[in-house]
Amino acid sequence: MTRTVRTPAGVRPALAVALVLTLVAGAFAAWAGRDWYAAAHDDSAAYAVQRDRALAAGEQAVQNLNTLDHRRVDQGLDLWESSTTGELHKQLVDGRTEFAGQVKAAKTVTTARVLSGAVTELDDRAGRARLLVALRITVTTPDSKSTDKDSRMLGELTRTDGRWKLSALGQAPVGGTAAG
Amino acid sequence: MPTPRHHLNRRRRRQALAAAPGDTAPRPRTSVGLLTEPAAEARRRTAAKPVREEAEKEAERRAGAKAVREEAEEKAGRPDRETAGRRTRSRGPVPLVVLCVLTLLLGGFAGWAHSRAGDLRDDPARGNTALTDLARTSEIKGQTAAAVAALFSYDHADPAAFEEAGKALLTGKAVEQHRTLLGGVLARAAEQKTVITTAVTDSAVERIDGDRARVLVYADQSSVSTAGTTKGGKQQKAQDQGVYAGAMFAVDVVHRDGRWLVENIDTFGR
Repeated sequence: MTRTVRTPAGVRPALAVALVLTLVAGAFAAWAGRDWYAAAHDDSAAYAVQRDRALAAGEQAVQNLNTLDHRRVDQGLDLWESSTTGELHKQLVDGRTEFAGQVKAAKTVTTARVLSGAVTELDDRAGRARLLVALRITVTTPDSKSTDKDSRMLGELTRTDGRWKLSALGQAPVGGTAAG
Repeated sequence: MPTPRHHLNRRRRRQALAAAPGDTAPRPRTSVGLLTEPAAEARRRTAAKPVREEAEKEAERRAGAKAVREEAEEKAGRPDRETAGRRTRSRGPVPLVVLCVLTLLLGGFAGWAHSRAGDLRDDPARGNTALTDLARTSEIKGQTAAAVAALFSYDHADPAAFEEAGKALLTGKAVEQHRTLLGGVLARAAEQKTVITTAVTDSAVERIDGDRARVLVYADQSSVSTAGTTKGGKQQKAQDQGVYAGAMFAVDVVHRDGRWLVENIDTFGR
C-alpha cells in the first residue's frame, strides 16, 4: 500500500523541488535586477564620476599651464589656451605675445609633474569645482642646469560644453596670516 | 406379547429413527459447510488475530523478516508503479521542463544583473566616496587638520603636549616617519627654545575608501626661537621675526576607534 501512494508522489517531489528552485531563482533575479537598477541610477555615483572627470581635467590643465618649451612656444601656448576658459583664458590670450617673447629670450624648458591632486569643492549643476594640485616644476636653462620647485597650486574649474577647464589658477600663499 | 421378532423390529425402527436425525441433519450441513465453512473459519481467525498478529509482527521484526515482506510488497506494487510511471512520462515532464527552463533563465538573468551591478560598483570612481559622502569628507578634513597641527607644532615650554600628540595620533610607519621628519628640528628646538607652530591652510580629501583616506595638505609652518644663545645671521633673523615655510604633503589616515589616525606621511620624496 505504501508503495502505491509513494509512486505518483515520487514525481511530485521532483516538481516541488523544481518549483522551489524556480522560485528561488526568481527571487534572486528580482533582487539582482533591483540591485543593478540601483547601481545604475545612483546619484552619488554620477557625482563621483563628475568629481573624477574634473580632477583628471584639472590636473592635466595645471600640468599644461606649467609646461613650456622655448622651441615650441606656440604649440605650448595653444595648449594653454585650450586648457582654460573664462578670465584666465582671457589673460593668457592678452599676454600671449609678450610672454612668448620672454620665453624665447630666456630659452628655458619648463616641465611639470603632478604629485597629487584632489577636488575640494564640486558643484555638479553649476559646473564649478575647486581643486588642489601639488606640482613639481622643473625648469631647465640653456646651460642644461635644471632646478626643481614644488608648487602648491589652487585651481578653479568651470565646465564649458561638457569639458572641465581651468578658470583660475594660483599658488597657495605662504605665511600670509601669521606674518600679518 | 411382544415377540422377539416384534421386539427386534421395534429395536430396528428405533435404531433407524435414532440414526435418521443424526444422519440426515449433517448431510445438508456439510453441503452448505463446503461454501461457508472457510469464511467462518477466516472470520474466526481474524477475530482471534489482533493479539496474535501483533505478536507475529513483533516477532517478524525481531527476526529481521522485513526483507521478505518488502519483497512481497514490491511484487504487489510493481504493476501500479509502472502505470504511474507511464502516466508521468506523458504528462509530468512538461511542467518539469518548463520549470527547469524558467529556473535557468531566471538564474542566468540574476547572475548577469549581479555581475553588471558589480561592474558598476567596481568602478573606482564609485569606490571613492570623497565629496560624495560630505559628512565623512569634512570629518576627515577637520580631524586631519587638527592632527597635522598637533603633530608638527612644538613648544619648548610644553614638550609633553608634542609627545602626547605623537602617541595619540600616529600609527604604523607614520611613527617612524614623524620622528625622522622632526628629529633634527627637535634636537635643536630644546636648546634654542623654539616654538614651532603649524597650521593647515588648505586640504582636500583625495580618496575615501571605507576606513582609509588620503588627504592632500597645504600647511604653513612658523618657527620662532626665543633663546639668545643662537649664532649665525639666519638664526638671528629667525629669532627676530620667525621663519615661515609653506609645506605640502599627503597623509594617509585610518579610522580607528572613532578617530582618524595618521598612518603614512607622504612628503613626495622630499
